[in-house]
Amino acid sequence: MNNPAIEARGLKKVFTPAIRQPGFKGTVRSLIAPEHAEIVAVADVSFTVAEGELIALLGPNGAGKSTTIKILSGILTPTAGEVRIAGRIPYQDRIANAHNIGAVFGQRTQLWWDLPARESFAVLRDIFKTSLADHARRLDELDGLLELSSFWDRSPRHMSLGQRVRADLAAALLHDPPIVFLDEPTIGMDAVVKEQVREFLRFQVAERGRTIVLTTHDMSEVSRLAERVVLINHGRVVYDGGLVELQQDYGSGWQIRVVVDDDAALRDVPGFLAKEGAALVFGGDDPGEQRRLVRLLTELDVVRNLEVRSDDLEDIMATVYQRRAVPVAR
Amino acid sequence: MTAMAAAARRWRVARISARYEVSQPGRVTGVAVQLALQIFLMWCLWRALYAVSPTNSGLSEAQALAYAVLGVLYTRLRGPDRSIAEDTVAQHVREGRISYWFLRPLEPRHYHRLRAIGDQAYGFAWAVGGYLVCLLVGLVQKPVSATALWVFLVSLLLGQVVLYHLLAITDVATFWLVDNTGVIGIIAFAQSLFAGAIAPLWFFPGWFQTLSSWLPFQSSFHIPVSIYVGRIPAGSAARDLVVQLLWCLLLSLVLRWLWGRAGRRVIVQGG
Ligand SMILES: Nc1ncnc2c1ncn2[C@@H]1O[C@H](COP(=O)(O)OP(=O)(O)O)[C@@H](O)[C@H]1O
Ligand SMILES: [Mg+2]
Repeated sequence: MNNPAIEARGLKKVFTPAIRQPGFKGTVRSLIAPEHAEIVAVADVSFTVAEGELIALLGPNGAGKSTTIKILSGILTPTAGEVRIAGRIPYQDRIANAHNIGAVFGQRTQLWWDLPARESFAVLRDIFKTSLADHARRLDELDGLLELSSFWDRSPRHMSLGQRVRADLAAALLHDPPIVFLDEPTIGMDAVVKEQVREFLRFQVAERGRTIVLTTHDMSEVSRLAERVVLINHGRVVYDGGLVELQQDYGSGWQIRVVVDDDAALRDVPGFLAKEGAALVFGGDDPGEQRRLVRLLTELDVVRNLEVRSDDLEDIMATVYQRRAVPVAR
Repeated sequence: MTAMAAAARRWRVARISARYEVSQPGRVTGVAVQLALQIFLMWCLWRALYAVSPTNSGLSEAQALAYAVLGVLYTRLRGPDRSIAEDTVAQHVREGRISYWFLRPLEPRHYHRLRAIGDQAYGFAWAVGGYLVCLLVGLVQKPVSATALWVFLVSLLLGQVVLYHLLAITDVATFWLVDNTGVIGIIAFAQSLFAGAIAPLWFFPGWFQTLSSWLPFQSSFHIPVSIYVGRIPAGSAARDLVVQLLWCLLLSLVLRWLWGRAGRRVIVQGG
């Protein structure tokens, strides 16, 4: 097997911001004998990502997702632990690493605010020393996927949020990096643009073989894009594995409510729980059983009403954060 | 060929701030009008001062007028106002966009230097244009002699290098002063004041001139312009040129050191 694209082992990051007391005295004291707080943003994070894999890095606010991404992309040096990005240590080999990675930090544009986006792209081309031909070809492909040309003569100042994020995604991919970090790229965008961005990311993974680490709060995005999720809470990995398994392990299971004309025959079907009013309620943990039951019910003529409910991913997350205090070994 | 391509790449990065300004004709006109107005008012002011009272500054009226008018042009050397485009270092640090500087195959300080040189070159072009106009309409006297002109040009070049470092140091210092735009304003004013751009330093009291002579700011303007108007005779300017040179070296060391700290701050403290 190839080297993994991303390898993080025992990452830890402690920030020590200076504490400034209010007032003149406080300012003087902070100059003479500065006091420092200690904030453990990342306590212990390990995971690997294979080439061409997309993982969703999830966790509540303040869990340490952004800090992890900044360490992986080489902006921050970790207090402890090791990172390899395509075999390189990102924060030591920053210039060489720059060609391997692209990044979007949601809502923060890397484009020049008062330059037409196309000129910003050209500046990035110059900074990354991309040849004119390669640049034109890549820009053309990105335009096809993100419909940039309708607004790329505008400056970010005059773009909508959705346009700006699309322009920023293009900016991050113009130098054709095999590894991409996206920290809440779709935050605050409308559904249409979100869908376009999802489609774009799917294409980048499936057709271009890029490795993507994505953080987001949008669970429908996660369920549509990621097969594997890494959950972190309080700076630790609390789950690393498949999304389906996560739903199985932590979900409270499936439930089906069905109203039929004649319910006698259904009371013996496995999974039957109770009768609530006119409805029969079935439930269980095994998704296979759920599928079999749905198939069975849809073939019956007597069914008048059928309601299928699985757990919301959001609920599952909440359960995981509560139950898992200790990290799992994978 | 590759050297040409590399130069072209640097040029396109360097010109960014200038593009902000020239792509908005209204801004260019605004700058031109403001500059013309300031020069005219400055000229009127110093004419009036010389009409009412004799001075012991050692500057003749023509010298003082040239000094003051060039002082206005000096303020243009800062280049276009980048804050309008959200593109000052302080703004990048405050908004967290500075992270992107560390994700490119170009060291942040090299990127910053390219941009700063571009800004200053653009401002310099304006100053030269303004100077030629002022020379034509007679607001500024010609250099006092051919020697003075040559010594002035050397001193001007050194002054530009000093100014570059002063501006860059102020810029990088905003890594620490981010939440204090007031402080940044005061520093900018002090720079202009001690450089002589607000009023010729020859008019200030002795203690102020002594203080100023120990600071780097006068190397950026006061020394070259004094050579230009002949207040510092070209023949005895050697010491001043050496002072300028020393400041170039010293400030470049300070800037290096500050970039080291700024970089560490970002990669250790997260900006
Ligand atoms: N530069 C910094 N200085 C001090 N504390 C920080 C810094 N960056 C992040 N933190 C703190 O570290 C914790 C994790 O932050 P972050 O990685 O941004 O979390 P997330 O992206 O998961 O919301 C938070 O408590 C945050 O306040
Ligand atoms: Mg975050």
